[in-house]
Amino acid sequence: MIVHAQQITFDQKLVLQSGATLGPITLAYETYGTLNVDRSNAILICHALSGDAHVAGRYSPQDRKPGWWDEAVGPGKAFDTDKYFILCANVIGGCAGSTGPSSINPATGRPYGLSFPVVTVADMVEAERWLLDALGIPSLLCVTGGSMGGMQSMQWAVSYPERVRSAIVLASTARVSAQSIALNEVPRQAIYADPNWNEGDYYGKEAPNAGLAVARMIGHITYLSETSMREKFGRRLQHREQYGYDFATEFEVESYLKYHGNRFTARFDANSFLYITKAIDYFDLSQGHGDLAEAFRNVTAKFLVLSYSSDWLYPPEQSEELVRALLRNGIDASYVEIQSDYGHDAFLLEVERLGELTRDFLAKVQRETSAPVGDNGSVAKDEPVEKVIPLATWSAARNARVAGQGNA
Amino acid sequence: MTSARPDHEAIVELVPSGARVLDLGCGDGALLAQLVERKSVLGRGVEVDEAKIRACVSRGLSVRHGNIEDGLADFPDGMFDLVVLSQTIAYLNRPLLVLKEMARVGRSAIISFENAGYWGVRYRVLRGEGVGNPLASGLPRIRAITLPQFQETLQQLDLRAETRVFLRGAARVTRWPSFLADAAVYRVTKA
Repeated sequence: MIVHAQQITFDQKLVLQSGATLGPITLAYETYGTLNVDRSNAILICHALSGDAHVAGRYSPQDRKPGWWDEAVGPGKAFDTDKYFILCANVIGGCAGSTGPSSINPATGRPYGLSFPVVTVADMVEAERWLLDALGIPSLLCVTGGSMGGMQSMQWAVSYPERVRSAIVLASTARVSAQSIALNEVPRQAIYADPNWNEGDYYGKEAPNAGLAVARMIGHITYLSETSMREKFGRRLQHREQYGYDFATEFEVESYLKYHGNRFTARFDANSFLYITKAIDYFDLSQGHGDLAEAFRNVTAKFLVLSYSSDWLYPPEQSEELVRALLRNGIDASYVEIQSDYGHDAFLLEVERLGELTRDFLAKVQRETSAPVGDNGSVAKDEPVEKVIPLATWSAARNARVAGQGNA
Repeated sequence: MTSARPDHEAIVELVPSGARVLDLGCGDGALLAQLVERKSVLGRGVEVDEAKIRACVSRGLSVRHGNIEDGLADFPDGMFDLVVLSQTIAYLNRPLLVLKEMARVGRSAIISFENAGYWGVRYRVLRGEGVGNPLASGLPRIRAITLPQFQETLQQLDLRAETRVFLRGAARVTRWPSFLADAAVYRVTKA
């Protein structure tokens, strides 16, 4: 699949959750497949911390590597580009074509650096909504993503219930835990500690690559599991038969982290890392609602929630907390904990089982929601044997309740 | 379309059209799919086995991965018209907890189980073959439930049997069910 990078610029200013404004805003995005005539087959994929808009395919036949989720997105794959119109945008605050701290601040003519306003997951979603509006997509068949991509998916369903028909949330959480914040703060400290960081003012100079590499190494540890590390590296030594009794890179696992840490600095901006991890830390859908279930009160999207048994960054219990909040609202939700040794990375790797689930799930959403809103096409009007709550599903009952409480 | 399992057929008949149904231990969703197709229910399931849940989602069913003995805390009181527990109660470690939770989240419950008082079972016992799954089969342990035992449990939990269906294979049993039925399907509600 040959794909093209695209960009769009909005001249207006986005009012951020913090109250600050940001604009003009450029978004890098890619689309795959064809939008159907009634514009009802669009799927938005949201990327995670270090991802970008290049989800699938190659830019040219010579391109060495495909997009970050090529195994799951393409013709006949879990997100089938023969059936669906799939799009993904680089988040604001990022460094892969969308406006972020490395972009030029129009007010000064210099890169933003730390003068870039702090953005949140809700702000990322707002920018994505602008893109949808610009492309003329009234509603999403599905919004999906893993990790921070899952957070954006939930935020979409909460912020724009009328525009989201389903959400597939992978390896994510509705409320980022203290452990996850800690695992974001230590990498940030590694960047702050790099003298090249210079309070974020390093563009055109030496970048804080040592700090960013350490940050990425910590990230990689959290994406694996004890089992996957044991299987992948064990205690094997790299280029050595026996211990050297020195501090050279000696174990395979050290070599792996160092390699990935350094490679990351070639494609990622340290300030973007700070801003995006901050957005993750702030993510708590229950904020301002008292409890999490309240946050989902107006949500009408059908949910498919997947967790992975060995994911300790966003462990299954956190997905279960989300599922509880959904079910308590009578939201149509399925939950599967996928047995996998791959840790958090499993959401990128376990694509076969993902595909098994998404194919039928998406087909059903498409069938059910192609009927006019409020008319559940799958429910036949049989003879009622006894008094039961009418055929008009829970969501209608819930909406009535919501309306009632709205007056309180 | 008829069901491969005789108790499924009896359960489908006991479910009113359009009901909100929760199937506990729903397996691959065979019963729920029938209820959706034949009774237009709004169905939900809970299942512990990952592969079976994937099969449910493939059938278009909405199922939550989980152990029903950890409670049904995700579901608010009275959320369902019916909660179904088919051929599962004999395998539970904490059957009373599950029955109480069923009564909390549903207005009625349907429970099916194999009758350990069935003459064929009694005969096996007399022959010294024991009750439940034989050791060599390697199958999970199973509780031997008789009809009087089940009635007593209902009483203890303040539950009342609304409808009782007794089966021998696919046939209905009307006389001496305690002895002649190999399986029972109860529809119960709060007394």
